[in-house]
Amino acid sequence: MTRRRLALTLFGLLVVVFGSLAGNLVAGNEPSLGLDLQGGVSVTQEPVGDYNSESLDLAVERIRERVDSLGVAEPEIIRQGDAIVVNLPGVDNQDEAIKLVQVTGAVLLRPVLLSQVIDTADSVVDDGSSTTTAATDGEATSTTSTTSTMAATSSTTLPGGPSRPAAVTTLPTETTTTPDTSVVEASSTTTSVVTTDAPTGTEAPTTDVTLPADMPDPTDPSATVFVQNADGTEFYQLGPAFATGEVFNNDAQADIISGGWGVRVTLRGGATGADLWNSGAARCFAKDASCPSGRMAIVLDGVVQSAPSVNQPSFTGGVDITGSFSEGEAKDLARVLKSGALPVRLQVQAVQTVSPTLGSDSLRAAIISGLIGVALVLLFMLLYYRSLAAIVVVGLLISGVIQWNVISLLSSTNGLALSLAGIAGIIVSIGVTVDSYVVFFEKLKDEVKSGRTLRNSAERGFKSAWRTILAADIVSLLGAFTLWYLSVGSVRGFAFFLGLSTLCDMIVAWFFTRPTMLLLARSEFIARRRVFGVDSSALAPGGAA
Amino acid sequence: MSDTRIAKRRGLLGRLYHGETAIDFYGRRRYGFLFSGILVIVTLVSLLTSGLNLGIDFEGGVAWQVPASSTFGTDEARAVVEENGVEVANAKVQTLKSGDVESIRIQVGDQTTEVRSAVQAALAEAAGVDVNDVSVSSVSSSWGRSITEKAVRALVVFLVLVSIYIAWRFEWRMAVAAIAAMLHDVLISVGIYSVFRFEVTPATVVAFLTILGFSLYDTIVVFDKVQDNIERFAATRTGMADITNVSMNQVLMRSLNTSLAAVLPVISLLVLGSGVFGAVALREFAVALLVGLSIGSYSSIFVASPLLAVLKEREPRFKNLRGLHSTGPELEHMVVTGTSSGLKNVRRQVQADEQTAPSANVTPGALLTHPPRPRKKRRR
Repeated sequence: MTRRRLALTLFGLLVVVFGSLAGNLVAGNEPSLGLDLQGGVSVTQEPVGDYNSESLDLAVERIRERVDSLGVAEPEIIRQGDAIVVNLPGVDNQDEAIKLVQVTGAVLLRPVLLSQVIDTADSVVDDGSSTTTAATDGEATSTTSTTSTMAATSSTTLPGGPSRPAAVTTLPTETTTTPDTSVVEASSTTTSVVTTDAPTGTEAPTTDVTLPADMPDPTDPSATVFVQNADGTEFYQLGPAFATGEVFNNDAQADIISGGWGVRVTLRGGATGADLWNSGAARCFAKDASCPSGRMAIVLDGVVQSAPSVNQPSFTGGVDITGSFSEGEAKDLARVLKSGALPVRLQVQAVQTVSPTLGSDSLRAAIISGLIGVALVLLFMLLYYRSLAAIVVVGLLISGVIQWNVISLLSSTNGLALSLAGIAGIIVSIGVTVDSYVVFFEKLKDEVKSGRTLRNSAERGFKSAWRTILAADIVSLLGAFTLWYLSVGSVRGFAFFLGLSTLCDMIVAWFFTRPTMLLLARSEFIARRRVFGVDSSALAPGGAA
Repeated sequence: MSDTRIAKRRGLLGRLYHGETAIDFYGRRRYGFLFSGILVIVTLVSLLTSGLNLGIDFEGGVAWQVPASSTFGTDEARAVVEENGVEVANAKVQTLKSGDVESIRIQVGDQTTEVRSAVQAALAEAAGVDVNDVSVSSVSSSWGRSITEKAVRALVVFLVLVSIYIAWRFEWRMAVAAIAAMLHDVLISVGIYSVFRFEVTPATVVAFLTILGFSLYDTIVVFDKVQDNIERFAATRTGMADITNVSMNQVLMRSLNTSLAAVLPVISLLVLGSGVFGAVALREFAVALLVGLSIGSYSSIFVASPLLAVLKEREPRFKNLRGLHSTGPELEHMVVTGTSSGLKNVRRQVQADEQTAPSANVTPGALLTHPPRPRKKRRR
């Protein structure tokens, strides 16, 4: 190892570590605090019965969307195996939290009574004359009598629905009020009706939808509800659901159907499958009173995923949903249908409310006592190794900065939160980090005692210390990985921080301690041995002395 | 004689500092085994008779925590819970003190959400505090069971992996000794929870795992030295007892240093964190860690290493050296120089009368059939 390379290594480490520190500071990343430090509600749910991974994934996504729409700061939604842990810092109402996170991934099939494209690009607010025109279709009368009216165009947030920015989407037909998707029988099972992409001049309901004063719960299957589609571009009034996604088999897949992306799914047989679907499809095809628009909405958790028009009265075997889908959209829809085919039933397994006062007290206590603990360790090092302790201090500092960097970064990108167990894990890891130095310095002392030059001793001492550090740290890493992978809850958090601090220990030993010590050992300035706390008079007599 | 330099004795601290102690750990191994044996037996008896005081996270149930006041104590809290139709016969009601704030914790079996909030509201009213100051935790018993199962499974997998790793990196005897010492540490830590009826929470499990990790870490650092010395003494007729003793004395200071470095923050966490600042959540964690880390350092020297020596002595190359080990100045000589003691070899030569007898005042180096290592030659 040349001196130049050692210096470069050291310089590189410092640049990387403090550069990323600066980056994190500029980006405003900082560690987010876990529930036990901030106070809040934690709900753990686990699926019971049959479900598929799509429905569990979708459930997690829906929970995330709901929590986000609520504006909870720094929520933590973690999947641990099959369990879903939702940590809501700052939320103190337990029941609200439980309600918020209970989603099923269940899909409802509802007839579309009315629909309207929300066009936020031109923020035209309809005047009063056109706002109560919902009755033009005649079928929505049941609601109009008791309603206050509002123009859908002026409202991008709907009670009960998620507030999403009404982004301009890529749906090519969105500018018209016509549906852009259609349902046909799967060509694999029969040869049947093919539909057009954009049937023009058909149903096209009026431009306004009336909202009742008391909005029904958008997930209530038996009510007439008002919901939006996923990207907030269209607004619907939907009738009571006539079926759930369970009419389909668990085999929906995106496919190229008649030249464009679509979704193909097969129907379950019997009264709970094809029969149920066909009765609804027939009504929509006939555009009777219960389904005046001829469209059937596929609704997941109060959000319309797609509202294709039904192009034939009866289906045997399978259903194709075609339209101007992109590949991604088709796949998303297939996933939704799969989830609906076997929705997950989540059961609340654990609820914990942590009062914030306890949290902030714990945090302060942990930080102060941790710092004092570190100070004591450093004091001890100073007494024992004298000026060598300076290297321990800088090493711990670098290790601390690396950990802060990683935790900050993961806090803002992956929703990692620093928990009490994590803080304790870090405090304990100080002992391990210091031990690396102790092992190294003791070996160094041995080498110097046996009469080697300082330069030689440093090299040999580090080599053998590194072996020891590696052997011992690998055991810690093994433990951290096993626990992280196989366990849940606070044990998992602890395992993460244990692994992180062990890695830091190894990084600091190799990229900081090694170059620093080797460079120091070569320098003229430090050649006096007392600096290393090693008494040169302790030179061993040797066997033949 | 080569002893003249060593004869310049330092005080105990000085010898510790310079790694020149000559403590006959091997000869006193039975004390260590006896002490550990007693602790393990006490633990087992306690575990079998009274078991562990498992928190709701493992057993399932609901726990409310209410700030206490002069008019609102455990009896009042119990009454409030009972009024809401919750069976309180098996309820655990305890007073938690943190700093100058006292709170009451009531723990019962599984309850429905409605009961949970009803009791929460009732407790808040009775204690005269805001509803949100009453914290509620609930865990279903099935979830509690699965947490426990997962933790046990993770532990088993971890032990298997670590055993394989140590057996590969060192040798299987070391794996056996290290795992035995680690089980000893964790068992005794668990025993403290059983004897003193501390509640086992997830934080406790975290603490046990830390102990487990630290115990292995510490043992491995010691074993690394042992292996080093086995190689160093390979060419000499040195028994495993001597090698163990030499290694122990050489790493003693490092072990003390490391233990101190690991324990100091924990003591700070215990005394300052939970004592002065009153963070109860920290207390149990810190107690478990303090005990576990201390036991962990103790066991790597007093349990793991003697055990390894006993195991290794069954090996053919150490078998006929059994029962012979140096103490006092001979041991000190070996610790300091890292070479086989001349005096002892002389004694052995006389006893066994195996080789052409060197004179009694021969230098130890001359006794070696060949220099063990080039670097030793350089040192002379």
